[in-house]
Amino acid sequence: MATLATIMDRFTAANSAAADCSRTRVLEDADPFEVPRFPNEDVYFYVKHIDNSHVLREVDPGARKTCWRLIGSSFTFAVLVIGLLLPSVNRMMAGYRMEALRQERQRLELDRASLELAETKLVSPARLEELARIQRFVDPAPEAVVYLDANKSDAILAKK
Amino acid sequence: MDPLATRRVHMLVRVAFVWAALIAARLIQLQVVQHSQYAQLARDQQEKLEEIKAPRGAILDRYGQRLAMSLPAESVVVDPLRVPNLSLTAEVLANILNLNARDLLADLQAAVDNRRGFLWVKRKITRQEANRLRALNLEWIEFRTESQRYYPNRSLAAHVIGSVDFQEDGNGGVEQSLNQELQGHAGEMLVTEDVQKRGFASSIQQQPQPGQDVRLTIDSRIQFVAEQELAKMVALHHAKSGSLVAMDPRSGDILAMANVPTFDPNEPPKPGGIAARENLAVSAPFEPGSVYKVITLSSALETTRLRPESMINCGNGSINLFGRIIHDHSRYAALSMADVLARSSNIGAINIGLQVGDRNLYEYVRKFGFGKKTGLPLPGESGGMVRPLRRWEKTSLGSVAMGHEIGVTALQLAQACTVIASGGFLVRPRLRLDAPVVPPVRVLRPETAITMRGMMEGVVLKPYGTGHKYARLLGYTSAGKTGTAQIYDYKMRQYTHMYNASFMGFAPVTNPRIVIVVTINGTEGTAGYGGPTSAPVFREVAAAGLREMDVPKDLPEMVPSEGSEQADENDVAIADVGSSIPHPLVQAEDAVAADDRPVASANKALGQRVLLARNGNSQHDLDGPRVPDFQGQSVRSVIQRAAALGIPVEFTGSGVARAQAPVPGAILPSGSWVRVQFGR
Repeated sequence: MATLATIMDRFTAANSAAADCSRTRVLEDADPFEVPRFPNEDVYFYVKHIDNSHVLREVDPGARKTCWRLIGSSFTFAVLVIGLLLPSVNRMMAGYRMEALRQERQRLELDRASLELAETKLVSPARLEELARIQRFVDPAPEAVVYLDANKSDAILAKK
Repeated sequence: MDPLATRRVHMLVRVAFVWAALIAARLIQLQVVQHSQYAQLARDQQEKLEEIKAPRGAILDRYGQRLAMSLPAESVVVDPLRVPNLSLTAEVLANILNLNARDLLADLQAAVDNRRGFLWVKRKITRQEANRLRALNLEWIEFRTESQRYYPNRSLAAHVIGSVDFQEDGNGGVEQSLNQELQGHAGEMLVTEDVQKRGFASSIQQQPQPGQDVRLTIDSRIQFVAEQELAKMVALHHAKSGSLVAMDPRSGDILAMANVPTFDPNEPPKPGGIAARENLAVSAPFEPGSVYKVITLSSALETTRLRPESMINCGNGSINLFGRIIHDHSRYAALSMADVLARSSNIGAINIGLQVGDRNLYEYVRKFGFGKKTGLPLPGESGGMVRPLRRWEKTSLGSVAMGHEIGVTALQLAQACTVIASGGFLVRPRLRLDAPVVPPVRVLRPETAITMRGMMEGVVLKPYGTGHKYARLLGYTSAGKTGTAQIYDYKMRQYTHMYNASFMGFAPVTNPRIVIVVTINGTEGTAGYGGPTSAPVFREVAAAGLREMDVPKDLPEMVPSEGSEQADENDVAIADVGSSIPHPLVQAEDAVAADDRPVASANKALGQRVLLARNGNSQHDLDGPRVPDFQGQSVRSVIQRAAALGIPVEFTGSGVARAQAPVPGAILPSGSWVRVQFGR
């Protein structure tokens, strides 16, 4: 069977003679725990009974310290990574916001220009003339026009 | 360890090493050897160079009202090579963009056949159209931002503002002459985009330079009235064209400049419509006719001992000028110099011109600014046509004295009128509000200018003045001069019976705030003289202008009386003085002049018949001791006139007569006095 092990063995065929001898020697020894071999395979499986009921875990006084050191170093590493990446992420997010604001500004400028155009059309002399004609307004006499300043006396005058 | 396993491990390590080496080599190739190439590819994919629009500057009037402005507008572009279905695409786009589907399909097909990956579908579309197209969300449709020029007041001041072409380059008016300032320079911005083509970083590569706003001296309200009144009068008299220039004589600010026919700069030029785009007020010189007598009389006051009351021989309506007989439009034996202007006597003006002399007259023609450009930032300005003194013929003095053999523009006339209105200074016209005021140049002595003001006021105030009926303002004093010049036919090489009807005036007289020149070209008949044609335009525009500028009134506001005398509206400057020299506006020289004489003489005879017929109607028809109109007359004139009629007069004040009681035309009861109030 073409397994990875056999393929590698072929590459290492030149040095396989000694290995064959030892293997033969092993095979020759009858082993009651030996599982019957697979055909054409040099992989052997053993079943071994292990009884760990009497095994006690040895207390390692340095384990706790190692654990905290690991936690600390991991935290430090995480902080460092976040600290390094955070500005870039922030910059990117700010970039998105800035681009959105830039487009918003362009749109607002366009709106403002459109409104200015509309305003100019609304106060054009031709339109005002037409409105005045409809409303039957008359031109004021030159000295009859009073321009009010934003001071108190004029404001009072205007109320009167 | 099992040697076999060891070998296997060694083998794995070798393979892994080779693998890693290959990867490292590939990385070195990609990131070091071909770094610039792949970096460029990445930049092309992630970065986009966006144009930052620099909008064209706005054009404003003197109060900041927008006359021209630019707005961003989007244009639609497609890549025909990426369009999946040409006919369907043409159908959809044509439906949204209001295009002809068949034409669009043909364009798309032609682009595909020629392997062109770019096609303008429609430029400068509306926002609604852009929104509808965006909703389709088709990747092969691209939008390009351009700029659209708007003229919100449509044809208002169209000749001054001009217009722009499709690339927003000026092609007329200040749009053309100030193109460098108005035109901005677009900037560039590098935008980094993510996979969804959303920009997340940008840097400005080149700062945009927006165009500068230009503020004109034009007052859009006065401009509007000027255009309305001018168009009305041109239509009423079936004239060909008309021009008006309104100017502030103190600063030279052009308050209004109107032309008829006019155009809407929002619309592209139409075939045959180019003539309407010509700014006639600055580019079309014409023979001014009688308005030019103001220059002649001003130079006479400066260089001779003539005074307004000096009597001028008017030759009973004709003069023999170096063998040529010149006729006047009305027969006068002699007139005072002031009345020569008021009645617009050609013979009187010629005789005054003869006293001035050709050298002095030429000098003052030049001093008044004729024959050279005013320097306004308007394309195509004409300097007018003034023949050098060495080329003057014997009769040229007579012709120039009454406004012929010289070509002037309406703008030049307005500039010349500021000399009288500003107290003797030639004030350069100014169209940009931020332009420095050029120091004025003294042309006339102050007393000469004041005297001329009085004489020009007489044209309006005196009942027989040519501008009496049409140029008087309610509440303001006004002064001016009418002019009616025959138009020269370049094809026929003779003067026609069509007129250039002009009026040049200012108001108020004592402290002029507005100078207005009106020229209506191509009028006919007696109704086409300068008085009935151009003076009413002056009156309406001056009244509106003074009201807009809030100029205090200097007269009580009452309806002016028409007076008992018939105003002599005929002020035609008889163009043909029998000169052998060609018309000054004709480039060809002497050859044709002799051939013109018979035709011109026939026209002259015809003109005389018409003029003589009018003279019959202009006679006095006093019926008993009626009170004459003394308004505008000096103390001496009033005394002489009252004495001649046997009317006792009581005076108050000094200067010229401003008011009187009883009103002109009333029958004076026996034993009563006429009270005349004089004022400056």
